[in-house]
Amino acid sequence: MDFTISTVAPIVLLPFLAFAINAFIVKRFTTLGVILSCASILGSFFYASRIFFHFLNVYNTDYVIHKTFTWFDLSYGEFPFKLDMGIYIDNMTATMLFMVTGVATLIHIFSTYYMKDDKRYGRFFVYLSLFTSAMLALVVSENLLSVFIFWELMGFCSYSLIGFYYEKEGAGNANIKAFMTTRVGDVFFLFGILAIWSVVGSVSFVDIYAALGAGKFNGLYALGIPLATLAGASIFMGTVGKSAQFPLQVWLPDAMWGPTPCSALIHAATMVAAGVYLSLRCYPLMEAGHLTYVIATIGGITAFGAATIALVQTDIKAVLAYSTISQLGYMVLGVGVGSYNAAFMHLITHAVFKACLFLSAGSVIHSLHDHHTHAHVQEMPRMGGLKDKMPFTFLAMLCCTLAIAGIPFFSGFVSKDRILGDALLMALHNKWYWIPTVLGFGGALLTAFYMFRMMFLTFFGEPRDKDLYDHTKKETLSWNRNVPLLILSVFTLGVFYAGSLSGQGIVKVAHEKYEWFQTLIAKPHVETFTAKAPQAFGWTDEGSMTVSEKSHYDPDHGLSEEEAHHVHHVHHIGALVSIVIAFSGVFIAFMMYITRKWNPGFWVSLFSGWYRALQNKYYFDDFYIKGLIQKGLIPLNNLLAFIDMGIYDRYAVDGWEKVNRAMFTMAKWFDNIIVDTVAVDGTGASVRFFNVILRTIQSGKIQFYFIMIILVLTGYIWTLNI
Amino acid sequence: MISLPSYLFLSFALFIAGIAVMVARKNIIAIMLGIELILNSAALNFAAYTRFANDNIDGHLMSLFIIVIAAAEAAVGLAIVIRFFQIKETIHIDDAAQLQN
Repeated sequence: MDFTISTVAPIVLLPFLAFAINAFIVKRFTTLGVILSCASILGSFFYASRIFFHFLNVYNTDYVIHKTFTWFDLSYGEFPFKLDMGIYIDNMTATMLFMVTGVATLIHIFSTYYMKDDKRYGRFFVYLSLFTSAMLALVVSENLLSVFIFWELMGFCSYSLIGFYYEKEGAGNANIKAFMTTRVGDVFFLFGILAIWSVVGSVSFVDIYAALGAGKFNGLYALGIPLATLAGASIFMGTVGKSAQFPLQVWLPDAMWGPTPCSALIHAATMVAAGVYLSLRCYPLMEAGHLTYVIATIGGITAFGAATIALVQTDIKAVLAYSTISQLGYMVLGVGVGSYNAAFMHLITHAVFKACLFLSAGSVIHSLHDHHTHAHVQEMPRMGGLKDKMPFTFLAMLCCTLAIAGIPFFSGFVSKDRILGDALLMALHNKWYWIPTVLGFGGALLTAFYMFRMMFLTFFGEPRDKDLYDHTKKETLSWNRNVPLLILSVFTLGVFYAGSLSGQGIVKVAHEKYEWFQTLIAKPHVETFTAKAPQAFGWTDEGSMTVSEKSHYDPDHGLSEEEAHHVHHVHHIGALVSIVIAFSGVFIAFMMYITRKWNPGFWVSLFSGWYRALQNKYYFDDFYIKGLIQKGLIPLNNLLAFIDMGIYDRYAVDGWEKVNRAMFTMAKWFDNIIVDTVAVDGTGASVRFFNVILRTIQSGKIQFYFIMIILVLTGYIWTLNI
Repeated sequence: MISLPSYLFLSFALFIAGIAVMVARKNIIAIMLGIELILNSAALNFAAYTRFANDNIDGHLMSLFIIVIAAAEAAVGLAIVIRFFQIKETIHIDDAAQLQN
């Protein structure tokens, strides 16, 4: 099997083709369009799994498929200006492709249930297809520029899907907010691309790694800041915007205005993951720019802060939204503490369980239909006791909640714990890292608490809204409602990601291939990086299968025995602490919401000031709207408007008009007097004048001519004599 | 011996007479006679100058040429006059003014 354009392209092109066709037909042939979308993503999943299993089969860390073609070449002499486009698939990309297509397929299937009665049922699938293809194209992108292109395309899709119910004012505001907030990060991202281009002369990831390895960034400064730091920070700002990190996290909770399946696809599983994916891809740059501590701190703050806000949310989707921000914070923390592998693993595991959580929430919301307002109910205070009504949704959601809370044997434990273990390791080496580490562990406690609070409020206890409860139909197993949830919930088991069930190597497994994730996903070592020349696109692919050596899982991570012992020791402590923390979070939630021995109201009254701050999301929205926008941007806009209208328009434009008017008067005078009167009429008058003279002279009388001759000759001779 | 100024004075007198005839008379034949006078004055001028120049007969030759040209001119002029008379039944010079204005 060879992996050429014929096998890679369908992954991206099938959903795009579905989008292109659906955009025209979906209004009239809705069912056909929906089937087309689902079939295309299923086909895409098929091709992606071929590639994924091919990579598992090759089982080599260094194995990549890298193919490019020249997009344009404006090189002139010694100034190279050449831009390549292409695909770069390594183990990380292959895993990502498999996850994105798999999750997207299940979400497409679920959407046929959730959006069935919507009046824009077909259009939703158009957006989903475009979104999925953009995400897949971003994942296979070979360089930063094409990443940026698809990044923006996803931004647009996200905008459309958040504002899907555009009749509602909140949705309209939310999509503008999401678009504008991510824009702040995107501007920095573009700036980072330019900074890299100015140094490397290429934006390909491979060239960037090679340039970092060759030390091209050394000694380059801009504005007194090392250029590597500047470029890395700019690109990280793109991540901050897209992955909703502090301080640009404000858009993601509002993004819950979109339909729930789109929240699952965009705001949990894939799009926000693109930001983390980008910072993983650019990890060597961030490392070279000495940005890891900043990244870790931002991740820690986000992980903890969002978790605290999630404590007080009553909307089931809002809880999930803040948990998404919090979990993204963990990924960024993982990037910051150098836990490349675990950060990426958390990306994948989070994508799976968060997609499942959102779909489950969608399943709950869709079932709860208020007969008085004809709206779906999202508020948890009106739920309760739903586990009897919807057992399958409950089962799926329970698995995912266990995963996100970090209960052992589930995927969230494996990945989050590795991140926290690495953070602890860093903290022991450098005391400044205690801040993000403690924030991370504190966030883990809160995560376990608020997720189980959500579970208990939704599914346990007595129904708090009896009328709503009685009108809810009992769930029957249906293929497009429950099957996607159950499939996703199976993959919340940690065993798929880590060979040992606990994820800590306590249980040794026989076959080392079970540690595929740890083995295959390795951070690019720029010091030893050798840029292999990319292959051209073609129908055959001889070079792909030349790798025969398989990578082995090294439990000591290439360290000496003593160091490895230390690392494992710290990781075991971290694992124990997280287990204790996770169970205590669950226990607190249990005491508060099941036995009701502890009264949450007591804590609310104890921390009333903080509680208000949490309910107002730490006043970030207020700060941005009342502070930055009303105090900063609007006066700035007014100033700019004044400069534009008061100065530029009034003096430059209107002044130019006056100049023109004066010029016009002068030109008119010139035209009338000089051109018309003197030149045009003057020509005529002179002709008339000479006509009169010449007529008189030409009398026809020969003797007169003769006299003229005589006179002229006389005059001539007279002149000669003088 | 007759001096050069005397010749020149005679020539000048002839020239002026010719001019006067040409300007004053309205008969075409008379005007042609005036032309003859002018040509003769020129021929006399040439002959007189050569007379007082040494070893040179260019002026004499020129005079002979002038006599020949005058004969040819008279022939052409008379032919024109005859033609004119055939058309207009007159030889008054002011009737030959169709080219005016």
